Amino acid sequence: MNEIQAAPTQTDKADPVVVGLVANRLHSILDEQQSALINTAFSPVVRESYDLACAVFDSRGRMIGQSSSGTPGHINAMATGMEHIVARFPPNQLSDGDVLITNDPWMTAGQINDITIATPFFRNGSLIAWFASCCHSPDIGGKILSAEAREVYEEGLRLPIMKLRTAAGPNRTLEEIIRSNVRTPDETMGDIYAQVASNQVGARSLFALMDEHGLDEIDGVASAIMDRSENALRSRIAELVDGHYPATMQIDGFGDASLVLAVAVTVEGDSIRVDYTGSSPQSKHGVNVVLNYTRAYTSFAVKAALSPDIPHNEGSFRPVATHAPEGSVLNCLEPAPVASRHLVGHFLPSLVFEALRPAVPQGLPAASADALWMTVWRGVTDEEDGQSYFTLTSFGAGGSGGRPRKDGLTTTGFPTGVRAAPTEILESHTPIVQTTRELLPDSAGPGEHRGGVSQRLRVRRRGKGAWSVNANIDRVDYPASGAAGGGPGRPGSFTRVSTGEALPRKRQVFLGDDAEVNLNFPGGGGYGDPRKRPVDRVLADVINGYVSIESARDDYGVVIEYNGPLDAFVRTEQMFCINEEKTARLRA
Amino acid sequence: MTADEPSLRVGIDIGGTFTDLSVLDPTGIVAVGKSLTTHGSPAQGVIDALGELLRTHEIHASRIGRLVHGTTLVTNALIERRGARTAMLTTEGFRDVIEMGREHRYDLYDLEIEMPVPLVPRNLRIGVPERILATGQVHVPLDEDRVATVAKEFVAAGVEAVAVCFLHSHMNPEHEQQAREVINDVAPRLRVALSSDINPEVREYERFSTTIANVYVQGVVEDYLAELREGLHTLGVRDAPMIMLSNGGVTAIEVAQRFPIRMLESGPAGGALGAVAFGRRTGDSDLLAFDMGGTTAKLCMIEDAEPLLTHAFEVNRVYKLKPGSGLPVRAPVIDMIEIGAGGGSIARVNSLGLISVGPDSAGSEPGPVCYGQGGDSVTVTDADLVLGLLDSASFLGGRMILDVESSREALRTQIAQPLGITVEDAAWGIHATVNANMADAARVHAIERGRDVDRLPLFVSGGNGPLHGPGVAQALGSPSYIVPPAAGVLSTLGFLAAPPSIDVVRSRYSRLDDSLPRVAEALFGSLEEESAELLESSGVATGDISFARSVEMRFEGQGAEIEVFAPPVTETADWHVELEREFYDAYRRRFGPVAPEGVGVEVLTWRVRATGPDPHQALAFSSTRIADTAVKGRRSAKFGPDTGYQEVNVYDRHLLCPGAEITGPALVEEPESTLVIPPGGHCLVLDDQAIRVELGADKGPTS
Repeated sequence: MNEIQAAPTQTDKADPVVVGLVANRLHSILDEQQSALINTAFSPVVRESYDLACAVFDSRGRMIGQSSSGTPGHINAMATGMEHIVARFPPNQLSDGDVLITNDPWMTAGQINDITIATPFFRNGSLIAWFASCCHSPDIGGKILSAEAREVYEEGLRLPIMKLRTAAGPNRTLEEIIRSNVRTPDETMGDIYAQVASNQVGARSLFALMDEHGLDEIDGVASAIMDRSENALRSRIAELVDGHYPATMQIDGFGDASLVLAVAVTVEGDSIRVDYTGSSPQSKHGVNVVLNYTRAYTSFAVKAALSPDIPHNEGSFRPVATHAPEGSVLNCLEPAPVASRHLVGHFLPSLVFEALRPAVPQGLPAASADALWMTVWRGVTDEEDGQSYFTLTSFGAGGSGGRPRKDGLTTTGFPTGVRAAPTEILESHTPIVQTTRELLPDSAGPGEHRGGVSQRLRVRRRGKGAWSVNANIDRVDYPASGAAGGGPGRPGSFTRVSTGEALPRKRQVFLGDDAEVNLNFPGGGGYGDPRKRPVDRVLADVINGYVSIESARDDYGVVIEYNGPLDAFVRTEQMFCINEEKTARLRA
Repeated sequence: MTADEPSLRVGIDIGGTFTDLSVLDPTGIVAVGKSLTTHGSPAQGVIDALGELLRTHEIHASRIGRLVHGTTLVTNALIERRGARTAMLTTEGFRDVIEMGREHRYDLYDLEIEMPVPLVPRNLRIGVPERILATGQVHVPLDEDRVATVAKEFVAAGVEAVAVCFLHSHMNPEHEQQAREVINDVAPRLRVALSSDINPEVREYERFSTTIANVYVQGVVEDYLAELREGLHTLGVRDAPMIMLSNGGVTAIEVAQRFPIRMLESGPAGGALGAVAFGRRTGDSDLLAFDMGGTTAKLCMIEDAEPLLTHAFEVNRVYKLKPGSGLPVRAPVIDMIEIGAGGGSIARVNSLGLISVGPDSAGSEPGPVCYGQGGDSVTVTDADLVLGLLDSASFLGGRMILDVESSREALRTQIAQPLGITVEDAAWGIHATVNANMADAARVHAIERGRDVDRLPLFVSGGNGPLHGPGVAQALGSPSYIVPPAAGVLSTLGFLAAPPSIDVVRSRYSRLDDSLPRVAEALFGSLEEESAELLESSGVATGDISFARSVEMRFEGQGAEIEVFAPPVTETADWHVELEREFYDAYRRRFGPVAPEGVGVEVLTWRVRATGPDPHQALAFSSTRIADTAVKGRRSAKFGPDTGYQEVNVYDRHLLCPGAEITGPALVEEPESTLVIPPGGHCLVLDDQAIRVELGADKGPTS
């Protein structure tokens, strides 16, 4: 420790034992911050689904560490977004007690629902660190979240980087403006307060850490942590075969206008360049991605592929250069609409994996459902009880991609870290009734390691009143492709139950009292030749209803016969048998 | 007192590796024993071990008046999937709740993570037409014919147990109860559990998972307890054994059989209760209990002589012990964190070029390098040996000679050389890193519960506790630490020091207004009645029962609750205002001064804990040895980063009499462990043979 006190900024001299201790401790401090945020948040989006990120930054706004849950789009966008915040408010314009707020898409997480709260912390009069978090607000005014807007101005209230609080207390004017612009004033403001409180919880522990180690500032140790992370990532990159690795992917886009995402990954020595030239131009609709968000998911992809064990901080960004042409869907220009940007941005990790697969010896998973399915429900709570309204944002996951040595994960998001909320919670908050939430047979892409199974969700309402849904979803037109000989996952669908008609996506759909809608989520892509999947595993999948008898035969080459009663609800292992002869013939 | 008077008390703890026993009389410990756990027939193992101990000490079984038992049987049955063939009857459209879980990728970057496998396979999860809404209102009536058909098919499929798990049943249990009647009618041999009985709380995944786990292990537990009772009876023990629960209370066999899931983690609970018992004697009602063994360390906060409780945990974590990879269970359990830090934890230079320790362990086989059993990865024990804190000759009472040179060599090549530091500094780095990891974990644990861990005395147990506890205490800024005697069987002492108790719970949304006192009195009243009945069936006299009432509260719209102890309900006063004030205080303590303004407060969950009388058990050894000096030798050891090796006295713990004092640096050895007294530490042997070490004003090194 003494070494650090004596020469705080000479990181090469920082005692490795102390750097290790501080790095571990920062990690636990961020978990404290995150748990305070979740425990004090109001919206189901944050408190149940964890659509959030927490991070700590040094005095210059460089990210030193992030909390262990949360979602990559927020974490990484906050990491690169902090430079704007620090530039707007240099230390001489900040005092102890100040708290900053912004939701500017181009500065931070690419969507105006995502509110970043950043708090500078001071010791002995000097700014020594920042704690910040980014959370998805349940509502921010404007159009209800969809891709319908033509300009960002329609998407809601935009907050430039400004002071939310000072030592004197909250900025009441700003609070009132926010409250009167959003559909969910209590939840939106409650979450903002939770963000402010959790930053303080983090700082309280950071100060205790500094006391114990006799540190006046943390920039020295922070630099050491970043440099070491950078070097570790560089040595992983150096192990890859140098080369130029391209890939493309087609996705639904908006209406009839599908989008192409193109990438060329260049591995050269200990650095990587990711170039999205060739991707579609920016859309007229709100599926556009700001460069900050493109970088966020690119950096996530590289880290997950190569260095999941290396701490994530500013150092992790240095070896990865990301380029997307200005005016493209991955680097859109103001005033492009951006609300549903995740329906493009979430595809980048699978796209980068597709490109990098030949370069990574241990292999990389097949494509997943990728874009998180987000539905926003809005309506009259109950006509008979007067005109009160509900607004509910709900998330659900399809299947993730089959992996080189394991099946894909069933109903588990990738690349997002967001979770689903319990049916019982959603239904006690709103008149929404989920009539079905269960696994969808044959949705997984066939493979030696099959994709993850997706789900079927059916929703109606109780009581009477007008209501609507915005289904911000993708992979209805284009499924998750398989890898290494695996088959694609089943694409999703969004339909009216009574008629089976397909409903429009990424825009507001108005529903009648008795309407019921069905969402079939996309399955994950399979990995490897399905005919190499062990026969007993195919049988187990059939017994459990993940795979049908028909798909077992057609996709896996395994002929299974069902000998039980046709009207049986309980179908046991004994009621199924493999026709060895036919199977051998099919698999020959 | 005649020889036949049943005045002896026996504690028995079946752990994963060892079965621990202790026999006590009113004056203290009469005998202790430790034997290997027999996994094949655990009940017979208990009976054999007890019989052996009684024979050795010439004690007649008829003298045993009270026998308290804790076991890992339930945990093992869940992990090894040895429970009943279990099916699930659920709301149509929701059979996959327990497989889909929260749809959470619990580690963002790790592409290899795995999800917990449900206890009921998909083909035995059957949905039936029925639906209750969030309001408790029936939306679709229960199709009883379907229930009957499915129940018969379950029987034909060899199903032994069925969990009935309907949505919103915590709001309205009608359909679940109806389904049970139908099943009892058509399939009377099927064991049935209702989610509205086992865990009447909101959030279906956790409620269903808890209910299934409970019914899954029930048969195993019943058979075991019957066999145990029978065997003990044959041995001559008159009364039925009492069972240790995860909440730190003991209960009758009948109650344990109803809620077997509450027997999870009862061994570690015993350790925490041991800390409570010794803390009472030393006047330390607030403590941090710290137990460190060969592979993991456990930490638990004790407040007002009660271990902190939690109401949710995970069992059977399938991927790197990560939260999210286990089956969720909601039951009252002593709130303990377990971290991968033990003597066998492996140290390495990580990808950042920094020392990291654990969570993987060399275990006892092959074990640390110094065991000479083929282990070649540097462990914490190797570092402790090189530091001189452990002695190669007196480890495990001299039963195993440690090879310090091979430890030194492994440290040189694996840690010191890559980092460019000396072997001694590398050893210190490992020792300090593992201590800091445990201190960090303790801090997060405390802060997440709105507590401050600093300045709490540490209560140290386990084979490596006395060796590393002092460093953890220093890292946390603790004033002192306490080391009990017979630490090897601490959990069984804890069992015997614990009063009978049971927790009951009910979910019921209530807003804070002046109708609340009435609601509260009714709810608490019925919970107290229910819990008193359970305690009375454990043999507690009605007049001896005391109740503690608490509620879980939050701001309207939040998703997480804070537990607040309820002030006594008074009809006239503004009880709800007082309750609100308590909530605000607790909220501020935990999250700082930023509480939302103008938002109402609500109560969600109501809890009552009923407790019987304290057994007032003395826990010292009944007899002690006397010697001229307790110093058994001297050796050189390193106590900090900046100090070199110092020649210090080594004491024999068993020769230290009450009142003895030692000034650090020094080491105190007993066969199972070595106690470190750092420079500036002042050690006093207490009347009950526990050792208390005050850390000097010189806080000492934290790294």
